[in-house]
Amino acid sequence: MISITGLRKSFGAATVLNGIDLEIRQGEVVSVLGSSGSGKSTLIRCINGLEKIDAGKITVDGFDVSKPRELSEARKRSGTVFQLFNLYPHMTAVQNVALAPIEVLKVPRKQAEAEARELLHSVGLTERADAYPSQLSGGQRQRVGICRALAMKPSYLLLDEVTSALDPEMTSEVLSILAALAKTGTTMVFVTHEIEFARSISSRIAFLDKGQLIADLPTEEFFSATGMALPRVAQFLSKMRKD
Amino acid sequence: MRYGDFTPFDIVLLLQGLGVSLALFVSTTLIGLVIGTAWAVIRFYRVPVLMQAVTFVAELLKNSPVLVQLFLVFFGLPAFLKINVTPTEAALITLSGNSAAFIYVIAVSAIESVGRDQIEAARVFGLTRWQILRRVIAPQATAFAIGPLTGLLVNQLQVTSLISVIGVMDLTKVGNILNLRTLKPFLVWTAVGLLYYLTAKLVTYAGARFEKRLRAHTAWKGL
Ligand SMILES: Nc1ncnc2c1ncn2[C@@H]1O[C@H](COP(=O)(O)OP(=O)(O)OP(=O)(O)O)[C@@H](O)[C@H]1O
Ligand SMILES: [Mg+2]
Repeated sequence: MISITGLRKSFGAATVLNGIDLEIRQGEVVSVLGSSGSGKSTLIRCINGLEKIDAGKITVDGFDVSKPRELSEARKRSGTVFQLFNLYPHMTAVQNVALAPIEVLKVPRKQAEAEARELLHSVGLTERADAYPSQLSGGQRQRVGICRALAMKPSYLLLDEVTSALDPEMTSEVLSILAALAKTGTTMVFVTHEIEFARSISSRIAFLDKGQLIADLPTEEFFSATGMALPRVAQFLSKMRKD
Repeated sequence: MRYGDFTPFDIVLLLQGLGVSLALFVSTTLIGLVIGTAWAVIRFYRVPVLMQAVTFVAELLKNSPVLVQLFLVFFGLPAFLKINVTPTEAALITLSGNSAAFIYVIAVSAIESVGRDQIEAARVFGLTRWQILRRVIAPQATAFAIGPLTGLLVNQLQVTSLISVIGVMDLTKVGNILNLRTLKPFLVWTAVGLLYYLTAKLVTYAGARFEKRLRAHTAWKGL
């Protein structure tokens, strides 16, 4: 379980997350929605320990991310997929995927690379396994990014707008992989602007507004009268649907 | 000995001088690489106190003439610390320190050239700072640094000629001796200059070869 209580985060004078409480249990797919600047990326970066939190507590399977000794355990349990892929440009797809298993989990290189190839095969990249990121399309890069996270066999996947740098065709190719993952019971925290897709795969929707979690509802409730009763949610959904 | 013509032995003398210059160049480059890189790693880890000390020393070395540094080591160390240094030792110490300072600068900017986003990815997957340095930063930083490093080394090769003033028998010193004996400066300095030129070209060539191999090995064309 990922457990967030009383989370606060500011950058200088600007408070970006202002008292967040959120729990994500094994097997859930929680989509995080909210307008630009509401703090979604910051929330993900607090969970994976890239940002120091100012107050509150985040634990991943009981490991406190603000304690250096526990952070590495917490990180072993969650895998992040980045908006801009963040691949290592000097390594092939296979090497990108196998690096962390080799270095962190001490898996023998041969085995790690064989597993990486299998993962790449499962997302349709069998032929491109030995290509460098610069030789791949955006959609292919993001599929490598997803494999890289899966290679650590994480309990939780953290995804921050993983399709927003992709064109519609590539977006659907990545989303179908995520849908398949959701079906197999992979736990996900999914930050997105793809409202309809979020609706189709999530068990819950968390809605952030100016650093506060103003809704945390089962998916269908969020999109029904209960969600619409919240002015900010109604406003957001009508605006997103118009776009 | 009367002023006289060149003898076949002068070729040997020139080659010996070249050998001394080359030996000093190669050894001070290697020492400089080790020290300069170590300083850059200290900075990467933000080791308190040591990091400030490194910056301070590197600044001193970069911003004062090598000749002054050489005199300080050769005349200063015996006078103040009662340590006797031979001309070769003084040359070795000074040139190594000087190379280290400039290699440090190149190494720091090479490390910083590697994108933050990749480093964040590596951190999130639990790699330690050392693993990130070795697996993610070093390969890319090396490819980035080869160009500036080659330029620096060509320059450092010329700088070795300064050590002739404290009596090290390097190529320039041999040139000086031949010149005084034959009184044919044009011929002597042309020969000496040509030898430096060829060596510098060799360094450039080796650098380009190495860079090409690194890039071919990674097939990395940048982003
Ligand atoms: N490193 C930083 N330094 C200062 N301010 C920051 C930093 N990172 C984020 N912010 C600010 O925090 C706020 C929330 O940013 P965040 O990236 O979390 O929003 P977001 O919900 O992910 O937005 P988007 O949908 O546009 O990605 C923004 O106002 C942003 O300017
Ligand atoms: Mg964001």
